[in-house]
Amino acid sequence: MIVLRPFSLYQVSNVAEASEVLASEGSDAVVYAGGTEILLVLKEGLLRVKSLVDVKRIPGLSEIRADDRYVTIGATATHRAVEGSDVIRARCPLVAGVARHVANIRVRSVGTVGGNLAFADPHSDLATLFLAFDGVIRLGSRAGGRELPLGEFVQGPYETARGEDEVLTSVRLSPWPAGTVGAYVKFGVYERPTLGIALALMRDGGDVVTDARLAVGCVTPRPERLAAAEERLRGFSVADVARHAGEVAALAVQDVEPVDDLHGSGEYKREMTRVFVQRILRVAAARADGREVHERHPHTIVV
Amino acid sequence: MNVIPIRSSSSLRFVLNGRAAELDVRPEALLLDVLRDRLQLKGAKRSCDMQVCGACTVLVDGAPVSACTYLAIEVDGRELTTVEGLGSEDGLDPLQEAFIDCAAVQCGFCTAGMLLTAKALLAEDPAPTAERVSHYLRGNLCRCTGYRKIVEAIAGRSQEHPTRLASLAALPVEGREKGLRVVGKSVRRTDALEKVTGRARYLSDMEVAGMAHGRILRSPYPHARIARVDLTRARALPGVYAVITQGDLAWCEPFFGPALRDRPILAEGVARYEGEPVVAVAAVDEATAAEALDLVEIDYEDLQPVMTLEEALAPGAPLVHTGEPLAGHFSDLASLRAKPGTNICHQFDYRRGRPEDAFAEADLVLDDTYTFPRVQHYSMEPHGAIAEWDADGGLTVWSSTQNPFSVRAELAKLFDLPASRIRIAVPLLGGGFGGKTYAKLEPVAAALARVARRPVKLQASVEDAFRTVRRCSASVRVRLGFHRDGRLLALSCDADFDVGAYADIAPRVIQKGTYTASGPYRVANLLLHSNAVYTNTTPGGAFRGFGVPQLVWAVESMMDVAAERLDRDPVDLRRQNLLAHGEEYAPGDTPVDGKLEESLDRVAEAIRWQEATPAGRARGVAAMMKASVAPSVSEAIVRLHADGSASVLVSTVEMGQGSRTVLAQIAAEVLAIPLERVTIVPPDTSITPYDQTTSSSRSTTMVGRAVQEASADVIAQLVKIAIDYMGGLGGPPTPPTLGAPRQSRGAPRENAGGFHAEDGAIVGGGRRAAYPELLDHHFGMRGGELIGRGVVAPGRTKAPLGGSTPFWEVAMGGAEISVDEETGAISVEAYASVSDVGRCINPQQCEAQDEGAVVQGLGHTLLEEMVYEGGTLLNANLVSYRVPRAEDVPPRLESLFVENGDGAGPFGAKGVGEGSLIPVSPAIANALARLTGVRLHELPLTPERVWRALRARRRDDTR
Repeated sequence: MIVLRPFSLYQVSNVAEASEVLASEGSDAVVYAGGTEILLVLKEGLLRVKSLVDVKRIPGLSEIRADDRYVTIGATATHRAVEGSDVIRARCPLVAGVARHVANIRVRSVGTVGGNLAFADPHSDLATLFLAFDGVIRLGSRAGGRELPLGEFVQGPYETARGEDEVLTSVRLSPWPAGTVGAYVKFGVYERPTLGIALALMRDGGDVVTDARLAVGCVTPRPERLAAAEERLRGFSVADVARHAGEVAALAVQDVEPVDDLHGSGEYKREMTRVFVQRILRVAAARADGREVHERHPHTIVV
Repeated sequence: MNVIPIRSSSSLRFVLNGRAAELDVRPEALLLDVLRDRLQLKGAKRSCDMQVCGACTVLVDGAPVSACTYLAIEVDGRELTTVEGLGSEDGLDPLQEAFIDCAAVQCGFCTAGMLLTAKALLAEDPAPTAERVSHYLRGNLCRCTGYRKIVEAIAGRSQEHPTRLASLAALPVEGREKGLRVVGKSVRRTDALEKVTGRARYLSDMEVAGMAHGRILRSPYPHARIARVDLTRARALPGVYAVITQGDLAWCEPFFGPALRDRPILAEGVARYEGEPVVAVAAVDEATAAEALDLVEIDYEDLQPVMTLEEALAPGAPLVHTGEPLAGHFSDLASLRAKPGTNICHQFDYRRGRPEDAFAEADLVLDDTYTFPRVQHYSMEPHGAIAEWDADGGLTVWSSTQNPFSVRAELAKLFDLPASRIRIAVPLLGGGFGGKTYAKLEPVAAALARVARRPVKLQASVEDAFRTVRRCSASVRVRLGFHRDGRLLALSCDADFDVGAYADIAPRVIQKGTYTASGPYRVANLLLHSNAVYTNTTPGGAFRGFGVPQLVWAVESMMDVAAERLDRDPVDLRRQNLLAHGEEYAPGDTPVDGKLEESLDRVAEAIRWQEATPAGRARGVAAMMKASVAPSVSEAIVRLHADGSASVLVSTVEMGQGSRTVLAQIAAEVLAIPLERVTIVPPDTSITPYDQTTSSSRSTTMVGRAVQEASADVIAQLVKIAIDYMGGLGGPPTPPTLGAPRQSRGAPRENAGGFHAEDGAIVGGGRRAAYPELLDHHFGMRGGELIGRGVVAPGRTKAPLGGSTPFWEVAMGGAEISVDEETGAISVEAYASVSDVGRCINPQQCEAQDEGAVVQGLGHTLLEEMVYEGGTLLNANLVSYRVPRAEDVPPRLESLFVENGDGAGPFGAKGVGEGSLIPVSPAIANALARLTGVRLHELPLTPERVWRALRARRRDDTR
């Protein structure tokens, strides 16, 4: 039986309070939201702390809201809340779709978007997905707050740019313009994904790809946007996207350096990146044509 | 800073199963502990402890959460629903009913979580498709059922698609006894109600007054000398009752082990694998015990480990054990053949005919090596034991063991006690699969309890289980020699089994598995050799299939290679070589007791072997035949109570396989009373009679026969009484013919005088007397009981393993697969399993168990492998050790039975439960080879492994 060692629980009512506690307790305190990650590492003894700072009771922190340009997901919104959110379904339906496939139903009921991003487990879906929405992280503290792009926030496995006294308060997504087609694909045998890829193809209202976002996660220490592949996609017609999928994938794998681990060899994960970049391009190209690719592959989820 | 933290207990108010509740909890209290320990609601179970398995699922405001990783404080102001809250005073929830009706319950350890998850799904979607259900259950693992029946129960489709075999029970089967009332019927499991309501009690749920909590410190190194141990600080911690090393156990026998007594209770001087118990502590609670272990100081000196067979067998390899081997308590292993100066702790050899000549004469000789991985049972309930010494020096152990009598023998030897002073009691088990055979935690629990002078509970975690036992991995070199006409002339094998750091029962595993290397085939010339090889890894032991899957993986893969080389259809080639009914397997052993050809034909038909294969798919088949343990003994006592109801005393352990139900069916049939009037008494070595083990698929045959005989003994006594009571109207009393069960496969309910049992009465000579009436007459008062006795003990024979197998377990499998060539991922689109069971005592339960075996087989075929790196086990948890989920179950999974009533067990039944797991790997690999031309020699067939093989093939093609 795994034993959770005693700790104090701070039930803070605003971000400044949370920041105060985090500042004064230093590394003896951690932020606690859903607990699906932090309680696990505490149980496993991988981390020992004296205090948990419960940010769930901070009013408004679980809010999901939208304005003309952005959709903002509050840090303590659960995956289930994201899945069921009308705002998300209307403005970023892919995000709602992916939420349905995060971990399992119990983790989705309790686990939060902010917790997921702040924990920065490399074998995770959200950070990869949100890169394709130009996600911006908002951090709050006694000193006020700051924003930084998700790509800068996540620095490596379990490492982020969050300061010791900061609380991740929200992630701001830029919904794709009308006519954009997108997809998220994940592959893996284990409990957590081996590979995740997110794609958006923006179009000019016609057939031409005006902009592209391609992000890969899990196979790299942190999720990455694949600039060379994105660049190649710009200006393609939808037919080109499918036709040149192999070429784009070749550019994509040049930017990833997977390492050997339980999920597979670096070589295999690199090749799977190639395979799934091609697949996601074909999925998106079909969607651009108003079709759905119906082929199904084992250990693969296509959203 | 004005925020005050919660440091100590705070008061929660919440609604628990519809009623207001109030409770003080500390902030770090986990909901699962509060439920189980404080509220005594034991329905939520602890298994993976990492939010993967779902055994601890409860609903908070209707949403499923993992109580194991959820702070209790979070339920404040919310509604909490546990399995105990399902249903109403009027009865069960319809979902609970559906679980029972669909046979979705086996060991029961996953059941509460499954039910609550399903409740949440049905609240969202009242009519989910099977696919939706499978997806929703991604986080709910089951190791027994194979999920199909669970999904059926939830999707509510059981009405539209009745379980094939439930209806099959009603079909006339050749040789089926006319007029059987209970046997052959898919009656509800007798333990289903307690399992769907969360009332079933497992070892992990048990508490004994005044008990301390034990905990074990395990070696972090695979091979190390223990240079210094300082327990001073740990012993000084308040609340600690005992901290022990092997050095503190000079008062008892130091070593145990069923085959070789090679295992100290705690590591002595040397730790031989990562995870070996080194120090044990007993304390007032788990937290104090954990803290005490933090205070233990140990210095280790690294020794060179041997982690693989190759390293262990290399000349001059470091030795895992250097002492003289001591024989354990198994007589058939008395002549253990270790190879001194090496890591080989036992060798098995078997030879028949003239193998060298036959190979020389063969037209086709295949020679290849196949490997089988280290895999773990993952019984959802990990091992546990509670030990208590009484004031007179007697010892009671409550244990999650599959064979209490073997545990008793070990403890008697270790602690120098007569068997009569030791009591081993066994509650329900949350799965076993062989992993709970033989002493595991019991010796250390007993030692701790003795030193701590109070009862001690030792409850392993799943991570501990990975460091307690596993399947013996193997490297198997096989040669097959064929005549060009397809006859299998000769078979040789050279198998190295990696048995880990301690032998456990592995010497028996290797000889058992190797002995049936030729499977269901007629092979006149055999040359079999195998080694049990120590390595510095988790000990290998018994696991469903007991050494046979390792051999069948190799031989059945090669049968397909042979078919290709001989240009023969794989099914035809197998059929040509099958042993006939009644044919000798080996001199002195039991002749083949099934019609193997019927099984093969059935599986070929079920997998549509003759039909065109859909594009992108291929099919493969495999067959196996396995011996059960012999010599072997099972005993039963049946007590007919004064009111005509009966208690059956047997030591079969109910671990999900349904033995309590099946044995009750047998007793009810013979005693001619309703099933509800039969109670099976749980195993307790001080009460229930001897049974060798609940393993080897033997219980229905061996214990079933003992129950049948004991019940018939009661009837014979009743008939005598009836003849006396009715004034000899039936003529001179003739005792019922019982004889050997082989001669009386039917219910022995009738005697020559026409007196027989019927509806709780003895009927004869035109008269009828109910049992209570007869007992009143016999005893001259109300209260006396009859005791019936059944002993099944075939004894030693001249068979190669020292005893003739009581039956042959026969199973064949057929797979239809597709493969994602770009990723290497295999999809099993259809799987058909055929087992020759002689007769199904409970068809639905047979089907349930076989489906579970197939899905467990999919685990080691496609997913499961314990991975070591630098001496450390990397994936001793369910996050990174992947067992099959509901979504992995083939869309078409059929489990069929050959029933000719020719089994040696009661009513012509025989064993089932292990067999259908065994053909899974070769059937799938054979299908893969037929689909892609790629032949894999290593399991599991992970996507990367298949992908590499496909890439190599492509490279070859382009050359």
